Amino acid sequence: MTLDATALENAERAGDAAAHPLRARAEAIWSAIDRFLVYAGDWLNPILVKETRQALKSSQFTITFVLMLVACWIATIGVVAYVGPRIFYSAEGGTLLVWYYAILALPLMVVVPLSAFRSLTAEREDNTYDLLSITALKPRQIIAGKLGSSITQMAVYFSAITPCLAFTYLLRGVDLPTIAVLLLYTFFWSLGLSILGILLATLTPQRFVQVIILVAFVAALLLMFYLSIIMGYSAVNLGRAAIFGVDSAFWTATTAMATAYFTFFALAFFASAALITFTSENRSTPLRVCMIVQQAAFVGWMAYAWIHDSYAAGVVAGTMTFAGIYWFVMGTLLTAERPGISQRVRRRLPQSFAGRMFFSWFNPGPASGYMFVIANISSLAVLCAVGAAISSVWSSGSGVGPHAEDQYYMLVVGWGYLVGYLGLALIVVGGLRRIATVTMLASVLINFLLVLAGFGIPYAVKSMSTRLRDVDYSFIQITDPFSSLYHVAYGGVASDSDVIAIVVPGIALCILLLNMPRVIGELRVVREAAPARVIRDEAELHPPPESLPQNPWEEAGEERAKLVES
Amino acid sequence: MISTASPQIELRHLHRVFDHTHAVNDVSFEVYAGEVFGYIGPNGAGKTTSMRILATLDEPTAGDAFVDGFSVVDDPDRVRRRLGFMPDYFGTYQNVNVVEYLDFFARAYGLAGRERLRAIDQVMEFTALNTMTYKPIDGLSKGMKQRLCLGRTMIHDPSVLILDEPAAGLDPRARIELREMIERLAAAGKAILISSHILTELAEIADRVAIIEQGQLLAVGSVKEISNGVQVRNAVRVRALRDGERLRNWLAAREGIFDLKLDGDLAIFNHAGDAESEAALLRAIVEAGFPVVEFGAQHKTLEDVFLHVTEGRVQ
Repeated sequence: MTLDATALENAERAGDAAAHPLRARAEAIWSAIDRFLVYAGDWLNPILVKETRQALKSSQFTITFVLMLVACWIATIGVVAYVGPRIFYSAEGGTLLVWYYAILALPLMVVVPLSAFRSLTAEREDNTYDLLSITALKPRQIIAGKLGSSITQMAVYFSAITPCLAFTYLLRGVDLPTIAVLLLYTFFWSLGLSILGILLATLTPQRFVQVIILVAFVAALLLMFYLSIIMGYSAVNLGRAAIFGVDSAFWTATTAMATAYFTFFALAFFASAALITFTSENRSTPLRVCMIVQQAAFVGWMAYAWIHDSYAAGVVAGTMTFAGIYWFVMGTLLTAERPGISQRVRRRLPQSFAGRMFFSWFNPGPASGYMFVIANISSLAVLCAVGAAISSVWSSGSGVGPHAEDQYYMLVVGWGYLVGYLGLALIVVGGLRRIATVTMLASVLINFLLVLAGFGIPYAVKSMSTRLRDVDYSFIQITDPFSSLYHVAYGGVASDSDVIAIVVPGIALCILLLNMPRVIGELRVVREAAPARVIRDEAELHPPPESLPQNPWEEAGEERAKLVES
Repeated sequence: MISTASPQIELRHLHRVFDHTHAVNDVSFEVYAGEVFGYIGPNGAGKTTSMRILATLDEPTAGDAFVDGFSVVDDPDRVRRRLGFMPDYFGTYQNVNVVEYLDFFARAYGLAGRERLRAIDQVMEFTALNTMTYKPIDGLSKGMKQRLCLGRTMIHDPSVLILDEPAAGLDPRARIELREMIERLAAAGKAILISSHILTELAEIADRVAIIEQGQLLAVGSVKEISNGVQVRNAVRVRALRDGERLRNWLAAREGIFDLKLDGDLAIFNHAGDAESEAALLRAIVEAGFPVVEFGAQHKTLEDVFLHVTEGRVQ
């Protein structure tokens, strides 16, 4: 627009303002609001802004929203007609709430998580993902934007159902805490499914695999929808008594679930971000920090359960079992990392002796990942051994699970299997990487196949042998972690357990030693200075703050110098 | 104005291997500020792969590439701030209009407040999309989409532009407009790496070109330098008023004359050499007493150079 045209328009506006002062004022207010929104929008995630704009114009959103409102009206009319005159004296709010909840659960449990999944996969299909990934947006911002979009959708669905929920409260039979807790659970459930959807969408760019994942995900979401309705029905029937009951079981369980939820949520968030991060970036350390936090929270809760249950040995056994499974799964992922540390990561490696000693296990790399798992599982084993010792002295012994003394064997043998199988897979994958490209998925599969072979081959041999078929446990099953651990924990003769407790950790230590060159190789990588161009750019981007005067004389001196200059 | 201070784009012994295919094989070249650098080669030659590596969308198997001195492998975030990449596909969103599209990418590149609004205005003006501010992207013509994509590429004012087949599928007018825009961007000091199959147009705007085939760089330089380097023969026509047959025999006896044909008084042949040697040839013909009424040398185009360099291996 030229200057003349702008001047003309301004003059016209001034004329209009004089003729319609009220309209001019309204326009000024609207313009101010518009300006405010433009600048407020700068603080929002760009993906959230874009996807909200898209959603508001999309037919999918409009149809779902209208269908939801129509369903609410039909439910209201149907239930009111069914209840009839009883509505004036009977408490029917609960019945209607279950219906409303079912209507709300469909978009929240199915539509929103599915949209989150599709949102990221569609970026790849529409060729916009490349454009997005070369902007200044960081992978975490992309994931946060997608999640923010899910939250916005949820907020709209919640707002649509709010008048209906108020109506159920007026009908009596359901209290506000029940409604609030139910909605809060549903919100976090839907959010959890959304991050799961995003994580699944980042797993692979291959179209046919994505289709398989999509089908499985939709099936899982429909199951979640069904389970959420059961939860809604149970919550309405249990009501206030369950939430504010005399014992604290509900809140304890809720807090424990919240701990698990938030730690797994963070893990899924960082894993999603890691999967779309450029390969030279450090994608592993945030995940390892998450795992440590998760382990600390897990140990805390198990300690609480152990003390609460009068130091029951069963809790210690449960902790060991869960920790073993958890660290095996995490170990398969960590040891599947690409070997070699990029120049970019080397610039931020710990430098001091203490830093290298304690934080090198957080560096990316399969061998450091292996040692990270060993360090964690070993510390847990020590904690569990202390727990088992205390249980053997203080516990009443009435609990379920193996005896405290059997748990020492379990700890040693379990540790041996974990270290042995992960280490063996590391050797196999390392060998394969010399001749071919081994993807992360392939590496994880090799881990599971080795365990499966360790379990399956002796099982097949034992089944075919007439001599061994009826024996509870044979030493050929020493590669089978499940039978061996069960045997050590419950059915074993003491001498059997001794042999297993010597052989399994012994082999594990040998495998650990075989992996040591790999570990040392990764540990020997030291920090490297950033190139001069990067240092110069960093100084331009983040210039050091101007030095402040250290004393009043210095300031006075500077003022005097300025005066002299002037 | 081409600056030769330090290269804005630099490829150093770049390799990219996909399973058993060596898509990019030891490619090295440099592009300077203000330079339009043409990147040509047949389909599957490795142009897009090298461009994607430069745009930090792919990783080299060996070697490295630099944008404004930053490694695309080790400092992709710094590279992205300085680089605009226009791929050979549109990459548009549904239910988004022109200004919303540009606004999203401006935000994604970290532009905020007035700076963002100003950047959008400038890009809309540069690409002449002002009249289509609120038009849905789905309703834009191919040429308009191409303009929009160029606008998106330069929304954060990058110093380096990588344009992969920007003129593909455009009508002649749109192509001319795109060419003008590219020339203006180069004049503004941006380093531009551009690939195209329309070699005649590329020859008009490119200061230098690189020819790549089967992942290997065959030649780098200006069209003239490459022509000289590969001894491309120019088609020459000489018409004498009479003595056509004698002229043919005289030419046939000289060095550097190939594929000589006589059509009446018109001799047509290929001549190996530059403009200087053509002038010398004309002088020699006149001095030999031939009454020359027409002498014309048709210099080889980029297409001819390309075909000659790739030696018919083009599929």
